[in-house]
Amino acid sequence: MSASTIRVGVKQVKPILSVDTEEAKKRVLNLYKAWHRQLPYIVKKYDIPKSVEQLRLKLREEFMKHKDVKDIRVIDMLVIKGQMELKETVNIWKQKGHIMTYFQDTVEHKPTDFLSQFLS
Amino acid sequence: MLRSSLIKVLNGAKVSPKHVCVTFRAASDVAKKPEKIEVFIDDQPVLVDPGTTVLQAAAQVGVEIPRFCYHERLAVAGNCRMCLVEVEKSPKPVAACAMPVMKGWRIKTNSDMTKKAREGVMEFLLVNHPLDCPICDQGGECDLQDQSMAFGSDRSRFTDIQFSGKRAVEDKDLGPLIKTVMTRCIHCTRCIRFASEVAGIDDLGTTGRGSDMQIGTYVEKFFMSELSGNVIDLCPVGALTSKPYSFTARPWEIRKIDSIDVFDAVGSNIVVSTRTNEVLRILPRVNEEINEEWLADKSRFAYDGLKRQRLITPMLRDNKNELTPVDWEAVLLTVCKVLQQAGPNVAAIAGGMADAETLVAVKDLLNRLGSELTCTEHVFPMDGSGTDLRSSYLLNNKISGAEEADAILLIGTNPRFEAPLLNSRLRKTYLHNEAQIAVIGPKVDLTYEYEHLGNNATAICNVLNDNCPFSSTLKNAKKPLIIVGADLLKRADGAAILSLVQSIAAQTCNKVEGWKVLNILHKVASQVAALDIGYTPGVSKIREAKPKALILIGADEGAINKEDLPEDCFIIYQGHHGDLGACMADAVLPGAAYTEKQATYVNTEGRAQQTLVAVSPPGLAKEDWKIIRALSEIVGHKLPYDNLNEIRDRLDEVAPHLTRYGEVEGANYFKQAAQLLQEDEEKTLDDSPIDLKIKELQDYFMTDSISRASPTMAKCVQAVLKQKESKY
Amino acid sequence: MSGTLMKFSNLVKSNYNGIYASIASNGQICFYSTTPPGTPPAQTKTKFGPLADEDRIFTNLYGKHDWRLKGALKRGDWYKTKEILLKGSDWIINEVKTSGLRGRGGAGFPSGMKWSFMNKPGDGRPKYLVVNADEGEPGTCKDREIMRHDPHKLVEGCLIAGRAMGAKAAYIYIRGEFYNEASNMQVAIAEAYQAGLLGKDACGSGYDFDVFMHRGAGAYICGEETALIESIEGKQGKPRLKPPFPADVGVFGCPTTVTNVETVAVAPTICRRGGVWFASFGRTRNSGTKLFNISGHVNTPCTVEEEMSIPLKQLIEIHAGGVIGGWDNLLAVIPGGSSTPLIPKNVCEDVLMDFDGLVAAQTSLGTAAVIVMNKQTDIVKAIARLIMFYKHESCGQCTPCREGINWMNKIMYRFVDGNAKPAEIDMIWELSKQIEGHTICALGDGAAWPVQGLIRHFRPELERRMQEFQKQQCAASN
Repeated sequence: MSASTIRVGVKQVKPILSVDTEEAKKRVLNLYKAWHRQLPYIVKKYDIPKSVEQLRLKLREEFMKHKDVKDIRVIDMLVIKGQMELKETVNIWKQKGHIMTYFQDTVEHKPTDFLSQFLS
Repeated sequence: MLRSSLIKVLNGAKVSPKHVCVTFRAASDVAKKPEKIEVFIDDQPVLVDPGTTVLQAAAQVGVEIPRFCYHERLAVAGNCRMCLVEVEKSPKPVAACAMPVMKGWRIKTNSDMTKKAREGVMEFLLVNHPLDCPICDQGGECDLQDQSMAFGSDRSRFTDIQFSGKRAVEDKDLGPLIKTVMTRCIHCTRCIRFASEVAGIDDLGTTGRGSDMQIGTYVEKFFMSELSGNVIDLCPVGALTSKPYSFTARPWEIRKIDSIDVFDAVGSNIVVSTRTNEVLRILPRVNEEINEEWLADKSRFAYDGLKRQRLITPMLRDNKNELTPVDWEAVLLTVCKVLQQAGPNVAAIAGGMADAETLVAVKDLLNRLGSELTCTEHVFPMDGSGTDLRSSYLLNNKISGAEEADAILLIGTNPRFEAPLLNSRLRKTYLHNEAQIAVIGPKVDLTYEYEHLGNNATAICNVLNDNCPFSSTLKNAKKPLIIVGADLLKRADGAAILSLVQSIAAQTCNKVEGWKVLNILHKVASQVAALDIGYTPGVSKIREAKPKALILIGADEGAINKEDLPEDCFIIYQGHHGDLGACMADAVLPGAAYTEKQATYVNTEGRAQQTLVAVSPPGLAKEDWKIIRALSEIVGHKLPYDNLNEIRDRLDEVAPHLTRYGEVEGANYFKQAAQLLQEDEEKTLDDSPIDLKIKELQDYFMTDSISRASPTMAKCVQAVLKQKESKY
Repeated sequence: MSGTLMKFSNLVKSNYNGIYASIASNGQICFYSTTPPGTPPAQTKTKFGPLADEDRIFTNLYGKHDWRLKGALKRGDWYKTKEILLKGSDWIINEVKTSGLRGRGGAGFPSGMKWSFMNKPGDGRPKYLVVNADEGEPGTCKDREIMRHDPHKLVEGCLIAGRAMGAKAAYIYIRGEFYNEASNMQVAIAEAYQAGLLGKDACGSGYDFDVFMHRGAGAYICGEETALIESIEGKQGKPRLKPPFPADVGVFGCPTTVTNVETVAVAPTICRRGGVWFASFGRTRNSGTKLFNISGHVNTPCTVEEEMSIPLKQLIEIHAGGVIGGWDNLLAVIPGGSSTPLIPKNVCEDVLMDFDGLVAAQTSLGTAAVIVMNKQTDIVKAIARLIMFYKHESCGQCTPCREGINWMNKIMYRFVDGNAKPAEIDMIWELSKQIEGHTICALGDGAAWPVQGLIRHFRPELERRMQEFQKQQCAASN
């Protein structure tokens, strides 16, 4: 009984990409930089009513959303997703609207309090 | 009577005289349990009690033998021959539904002989069965369809269709509920057996012989009973189908939602079939404890009332004294103003279909406003312990418990129409347990024989004082049962009568452990929950209090009217139907009917059950407790629950059994209740005759706001009246 | 049939050990026990019939004498009935067992054993004897002769059989059409009551016994024992499921035995003259005398009492004056009433008229109503007409009988014209097999057997008609 518990406890989780925090951090930074470099082109290609500065702020905001993530595996997964997103953006697989959703939600949120729900 | 003794013997029947002796000995010595015998079903050994039929034995190992005429709740007819199976060493296949197994029998349910026999019977059944499945309402849920797929031949050799046609039979007119296409009939006689055994009406039968045999009423007559709809479920083919549901939907198109019936206090389990937000039909759901697998006609057919006379928008009485539609905000604000002005001078009356959630919300709201005036429409005596002890207002012995009784006294109740499914149990007890039944109250037809002891309170005294022969029967009975109707306790001397009955019950008590003699039968679905939550039965207190505002929660029985109230009293009606209550209201809050909300109901046994949402409420109507919750917030006494789970938590706080669904919370303070009632000052008995609201079938169909709005129910009343005029 | 045989041997086995099989002189395998009381002695005769006049039981079969009590007493009825009753039920049953009497209603179940089922300690319920006088089988006319001309034989038989099984009363269920028979029976019963032979202290034996008569309404199915019981109870005459057998739950829910008129009527004579005397007629297991009804294409149709196991040819030649047009003009014979399969002429030559002999010929003794058909008969139409009778008389309760016979009837009438395909002959054979043994009562079997007999022996005739019809159709269309 106890032996099996120990075995479970010491079982190594398989890393996705990075072996330690350092490496993960490096990957995040690389992704950030890649995005950063592409921002002027994005503005141009997609012809959106936003400036590069505004995009930089948004980029920072998006990254800062996950500033408290500590698990290496989660960081890695987020990086992978970010890379996918970047690829889709750069290759113009997306459309203008997709980019603009970063700035505004298209869905209106419903009220949560009882009375408004009741009356709506 | 003979049928029952036949079954009894059948269960213990043996062929050889040696075995018969064994059976007789076993019958005389009840204490000795007969040994189990071993039989083999498809080489699978199984131990069964002696007297088990082949079909039952096969069911024990999970082998289902096809059948048409056999039904576990009806007598064995054995005439469809679909259940023929091979028994090793028997030259002929045996009818599994009727043949008791014998030791060491090897039954083969899948052998060539069995298959051949089934195929043959199937072929014969189909010879004269019309090929009209595409226009048959049973299509998709037809036993004949299913079994011909599973056990029939893959091709037809009915060459005679080229020379002569199939048999055609004239349709019968069985009334406004049951549609007949008698050509489809396969003569299984389930309907006949149901009518004579369960419903207690010998109107159905066979006429003619051989291939001219027909099922029908012998003379031109409607098949009118409070349980008639069940023959539709029983019919294995499309010969008997539902008239209101005809050509409406196919079974694979509809959504089925399990729910609870609220037309009486029994709380039958039902399945609501819906399509495109419309209730298409209601079928019973098996619950051995409550309704077995039957359903009363009102519960089954009154659903079309849910589409008529509905309140679909909030309304306010304008200066022309007419109710005009307004939106929710307007009505809530108006009501809020009224309530704030009224302060503690506010009262509420709960009707027969109010759910526990709404009841508790209304009570919470009124309490917060400083009022204690929460009442139910239906009266119950408050003397002695009143409604403090649950045992005084429940059907304590449970509905299924009625089956074991050996002496039954019905006081001031007509169970046949107040609780048809309880009455079918009583009839079963009468038939199979040979129970002695006596009635105090109006002489009504209960489908079984009973001794009529009188029609006034004196008759009850006679039973108590050993002045009539039945009192000794009752007192000597092992399992006596007294059922008191709610109508009786409405009278001014209700408390005195209840006290008398409690004394009779006390005289008979304590013979079998857990057996409860005293039982109250309520008429409406909400009453027990309301009393559990702490509502005051009866509206007399409100009459005295002269409230400034009155909330009617689906109270449509006219317990109180405008004349009883002060002129400036503002009446708020919350409910689903434009009936009596809505007429006198100044503000109308449209609520949801029982098929449109997830709500708790407690039946007359004290069993909490919940309905589920089958369709959404029409128009602007909302779930009832939510209306109260919204109102409370506007009034400024916000109730602390926002969703169903939270209000259920509140229910749990008030009375934990309200959320233990499916279970009966028993009560057992009979002695104390009787004592408390006796301690009260002498009560005077009124010797006027006992009267009941529902005496005959035509009174049964329209008793509440939904059934009063139902065209089908109106047709039923018409049919019954027409039947009365006919010479049969 | 094999079912009853098996049951028979099983019961003997359970009662006695030391059983051995021996081959009787006539080649039948029989079961014997070493010394069981009530076993009929082995038959040593090899030639059976004609019956001598002094051995006839029904001495007023033709109504030449007085049928009332006076005449009956003259013929020896009610002679020493009291003594027989006082010997007790065991003695009577033993005597009936020794006689080897088998039920005369068609199934041929050993009567002694059937009666002994009833003679067991009761549970307080009264027991009843029901006499099946609903003689409706086409071709059969034996019971009516007894009831019309010798009713006292039956009344006395009721008393003795009732005593044997400890019954409280006997119900005679008489067919509705039998008006004269019913009135004669009623007179006989009244006479017996007046003479103190029935009622309280019947015959002075201290035994109380009543006989009631119940007139049916003319349904063939009411001759089936459980349908008969239902009919007596005032319900629709529809057979009940078995088990429970009538010996457990019969008329009014009480133990009941249903027996044929002839079986009951011969019982007094058996008791007076002894079971051994009765067993001296006919082959072993087929003992006794029997009323034969010969009808159809014979010169003098008649009902006659004969020895069992008499050859069919001899029976027809002696009593019925031979087949019209001579023996060579014979086509087929239905040997035991309409529900038994027919046998063609070559089988008729040497078949013996008893239970075993006819079973060996793939038919059955039934009620011993011999229907003779000579070569002028349209055999297919004859059988079709019988099926129409069964179709009309089916009670409609259970599926194979209700639907199957109706269907067979349709096909049979097409066969009469030949308007069918040869493959349908096999189909109707299968249909008859699907009916046989799958029904609640034996009416389905009775309807299936004539068709099976027809196909078994006259298939070429059916095929010939179909070919002819085909030719006609072709000619008509050209």
